[in-house]
Amino acid sequence: MTIADGPALPKLIGERVKRREDPRLIQGQATYVDDIKLPGMLHLAFKRSDIAHGVIKSIDTSAAAEMEGVELVITGAELAEHLGPMPIGTPFPAPDHFSVATDKVRYVGEPVAVVVAEDRYLARDAADAIEVEYEELPAVVDPEVAMEPGSATLHEGFERNIAVESYWGGTGVNPETAQPEDDSAVDAAFEEADVLVTQRMLNQRLAPNAMEPRGVVAQYETGREYLTVWSATQNPHILRTLVAAMMGLGEHQVRAVAPEVGGGFGCKINIYGEEYVAAALSRLAGAPVKWIEDRTEAFLTTTHGRDLLGYIDLAAKSDGTITGLKARIIADIGAYEVLLTAMIPTLTGLMMNGVYRLPVVRHELTEVFTNKTPTDAYRGAGRPEGLYFLERAVDMLARELDMDPAEIRRKNFVPADEFPFATQSGLVYDSGNYEPCLDKALEVADWQGMLAERDAARAEGRIVGVGLSFYVEVCGLGPSAVVPTGGWEHSGVTVERGGKVTATTGASPHGQGNETTFAQMLADHFSIPLEDITILHGDTSVVKQGIGTFGSRSQAVGGAALISAAGKAGDKMKQFAAALMTDQEVSPEDLVFEDGRIQVEGAPEVSKTFAEVADFAYVPVPLPPGMEPGVSEESFFEPENNTYPFGCHISMVEIDRETGEPRLLKMVAVDDCGNVINPLIVDGQVHGGLAQGIGQAMFEEVVYDEDGQPVTASFMDYVMPRAADLPAFELDNTVTPTPVNPLGAKGVGEAGTIGSTPCVVNAAVDALAPFGVTHIEMPLRPERLWRLIQENGGQS
Amino acid sequence: MEIKGEQEFNGGRELLYELLLDPDVLASALPGVERFEEVAPDRYESTMRVGIASVRGTYTGRVEVLEQSPPESYRLRIEGSGKPGGIRADAVVDLSESGGGTTMHYRADVKARGTIARLGGRLLGGVARLLIGQFFKSIEQQVDDRAA
Amino acid sequence: MSEPVPITINVNGRKRSAMVEARLLLVHFLRESLNLTGTHVGCDTSQCGACTVLIDGHSAKSCTVFAVQADGAEVQTIEGLADGGELHPLQDGFWEEHGLQCGYCTPGMIMSAVNLLENNPAPSEAEIREGISGNLCRCTGYQHIVNAIQHAAERMAQS
Repeated sequence: MTIADGPALPKLIGERVKRREDPRLIQGQATYVDDIKLPGMLHLAFKRSDIAHGVIKSIDTSAAAEMEGVELVITGAELAEHLGPMPIGTPFPAPDHFSVATDKVRYVGEPVAVVVAEDRYLARDAADAIEVEYEELPAVVDPEVAMEPGSATLHEGFERNIAVESYWGGTGVNPETAQPEDDSAVDAAFEEADVLVTQRMLNQRLAPNAMEPRGVVAQYETGREYLTVWSATQNPHILRTLVAAMMGLGEHQVRAVAPEVGGGFGCKINIYGEEYVAAALSRLAGAPVKWIEDRTEAFLTTTHGRDLLGYIDLAAKSDGTITGLKARIIADIGAYEVLLTAMIPTLTGLMMNGVYRLPVVRHELTEVFTNKTPTDAYRGAGRPEGLYFLERAVDMLARELDMDPAEIRRKNFVPADEFPFATQSGLVYDSGNYEPCLDKALEVADWQGMLAERDAARAEGRIVGVGLSFYVEVCGLGPSAVVPTGGWEHSGVTVERGGKVTATTGASPHGQGNETTFAQMLADHFSIPLEDITILHGDTSVVKQGIGTFGSRSQAVGGAALISAAGKAGDKMKQFAAALMTDQEVSPEDLVFEDGRIQVEGAPEVSKTFAEVADFAYVPVPLPPGMEPGVSEESFFEPENNTYPFGCHISMVEIDRETGEPRLLKMVAVDDCGNVINPLIVDGQVHGGLAQGIGQAMFEEVVYDEDGQPVTASFMDYVMPRAADLPAFELDNTVTPTPVNPLGAKGVGEAGTIGSTPCVVNAAVDALAPFGVTHIEMPLRPERLWRLIQENGGQS
Repeated sequence: MEIKGEQEFNGGRELLYELLLDPDVLASALPGVERFEEVAPDRYESTMRVGIASVRGTYTGRVEVLEQSPPESYRLRIEGSGKPGGIRADAVVDLSESGGGTTMHYRADVKARGTIARLGGRLLGGVARLLIGQFFKSIEQQVDDRAA
Repeated sequence: MSEPVPITINVNGRKRSAMVEARLLLVHFLRESLNLTGTHVGCDTSQCGACTVLIDGHSAKSCTVFAVQADGAEVQTIEGLADGGELHPLQDGFWEEHGLQCGYCTPGMIMSAVNLLENNPAPSEAEIREGISGNLCRCTGYQHIVNAIQHAAERMAQS
């Protein structure tokens, strides 16, 4: 028997471990999709519609086809012989949507023809040489106008451009019939209310703008009848499923790879037409093909987010107790339904209960087609919209009643002893403890000090306001009953010879740092050094199964699958270890992993090294009875419920009296995402989320003109937050673990985005409250703020 | 997008009216025109080269003259397209006497698509002013030549 | 299409000669011709800075420079930043302070920061934020990037 005399290994869960992904990324050695080159690779370029709505009369591809180096030019109608309409991932009715338009175009940027050429520049030249003649149709740009009888319609069979209509109310939906139960209580609540808040609010359209645009390389090998697709995607396994179906192949004939992916934020969940086209044209051209999106194309064709109009009504008693909520939501979903389009706005209503006890709720949702880029998930996906509407309305109520925004929230919180808590919308919040989080935020921000600072600034003639928001969101998307693609996640854990560990995860990251956090978890689980672990992801030929990374599910679902597989592998290691120690009459149940050894708990002298046991597992002489050699285990983890993280954000905004320019002076975020594996990474996630939430509040908006022409299609016109626009964020947290997974982790990817947007707008409204302002539409453009100041004669 | 303005000319408005609708004059006065042909009464086709920033390119266009009321006013319907996109414009031109000369008021509603539309906000107005300025300068020259 | 033009550029200390189309962008020359794919393209209007490299010691957006314009120049890219096996203090700072998530903007961000610290070895937080405002990052909210640059500045001051 040998005992390795290594130092005790520190526990890594909960530590700020620096990332294992970084060395390749900081040295320019990572491989993103545009870095992939294959022998004989051809390049695609798309001819795209430059009108918003019209019938394709003719397409002249002759000039393009004649160019030297152009292999193939194909129109949408021709391509439709090879690719059918694209699948979607929701159960809602949807019009046919081809990868390349066949007869009609419905948004600027919709592809109408494709060129395959020898190089990227040439492909673009050829696409430019294609002439398309359209019969223009009236553009539908305003969703409320779109629903009026007599408006032009985008799709046959979708009268008044309505894609989805839903309604629920009263004391909830009857789960048996899916019909609203008695709704009279809602009307009664509003009739009996002491005070009402009514506000129309726009949660504007945004462009996700991952810094890496989309891209795809496809290689169809005719001899093998095998397709490989590399794509900048958040979910290679879903890509494999859908591209196989579109190509008439089985999943056994397709390998999908997400190489290094430069951010997703929801816009790389959808499987896009370009991915199918690349696969089909690789087969047609008999060569690998590549397509890389440029930023203008990204603005025109990568899914947008948000764009919900809300008519919000709140009823309350004079002491601030909320007695009812009515929300009528109109979602401008753009021209088509793509993968999750129609589902996203439904999350808005589901989460509009927020952190409050709401006796009655009525919710109406209409999703409307317009001649704009289709919408889909964008960081937060449905929740930021709902929480924005709710947290703005609650803030207005506080102002109406002259109550402190913190105290009105405290008064209406779901109490800690009521969890698990069933909402009016039919969700069950897993766990929550809101008051300590609020108190901590007030303390960290020094709320009373901020109020005094604001008042002092006002006395000097400055325009300063403070804002607060309290959010709850839904994370860890699963179980399968609510996720159309499957709500589980998969992981594999192999203990290699020599005691090293290779693990796979279907949670394919694009910046989340899973290679680090997952290795931390395994290091602690097996008590082996971090360096002895490799986490593989993103390649369906390596990672057997998976769903992907969205809805803040990596840790809560993917991490749980990993721990489950690690548990199985660990059990087998203990069985082999026990077999090696039969002379000492050790049973596997007595064994633990400790500092690179497998030992009897409390008796390190009775042990084998992890490496010894691993070696034995692969040459098990004699093979213990009833066992197979090797240690390679896998797990599918299906959560029983979602998780519901929450948090409180506080901010201070100053507005320049002369120019209207807003400046964010302070941003405090106290979040509760349950147990934390790596606080450094969690802080990074919150920071990034805050920046995007602040971006929506202050800077960002996709704008179309009245003809459906996008006028914000570059970083010159679409305002992204830059370093100098943001303050240093102040973070803290509380920890309320979830019972729905063994880690107790809830998820944190979207939290920052959800709380910060209403928080900053609340602060801006507070700043302009002395001017009689009760609501400001986003983004907080200087011009808009300047006008509000001027409307009051510039005097507060 | 609306483009409007006014311009003073030395000559009388009958002369100006005639010049402004003379294909030969237009062909020489419009900047970058390579071809300007009357294809039917009051309908013209042209090829025009614009060499400014990202709207650079060759445009083919159609111009239709409507609602002619000499020497006071007329309306133009203009359509043009090229690689960077296209425009459609509906322009009204009014000529009024002022002192010894003529004041021209113009107002055009311009709709753009393609790159032109996307960059339009920041670029189109400036480009239009530049081209209109060049056009007026040339017309002014011809008015002076005829008047002399 | 114009005739190919001969160019010679010193890239990361190595002389590279090629015949290029006059319209070939420097970033594509680096990525496609030299396989230096660490420099990324994030936009087409020189707003995002993902393609930032150093040309004769000054940061430049290589998507807005034609390869022929860099003829005769010294170009440094992210691949040429580490000294042998040793990371540049900025690379180390980004690693230590979690200054990156998806990593796509990182090479450009680091090259901009190299230029920033050359000009101002001890920048304030506000000066750092201003100094990297030509570079967009969608993941980090910039805070850890600011920390990373401060970390590097302190280390460089010590050595």
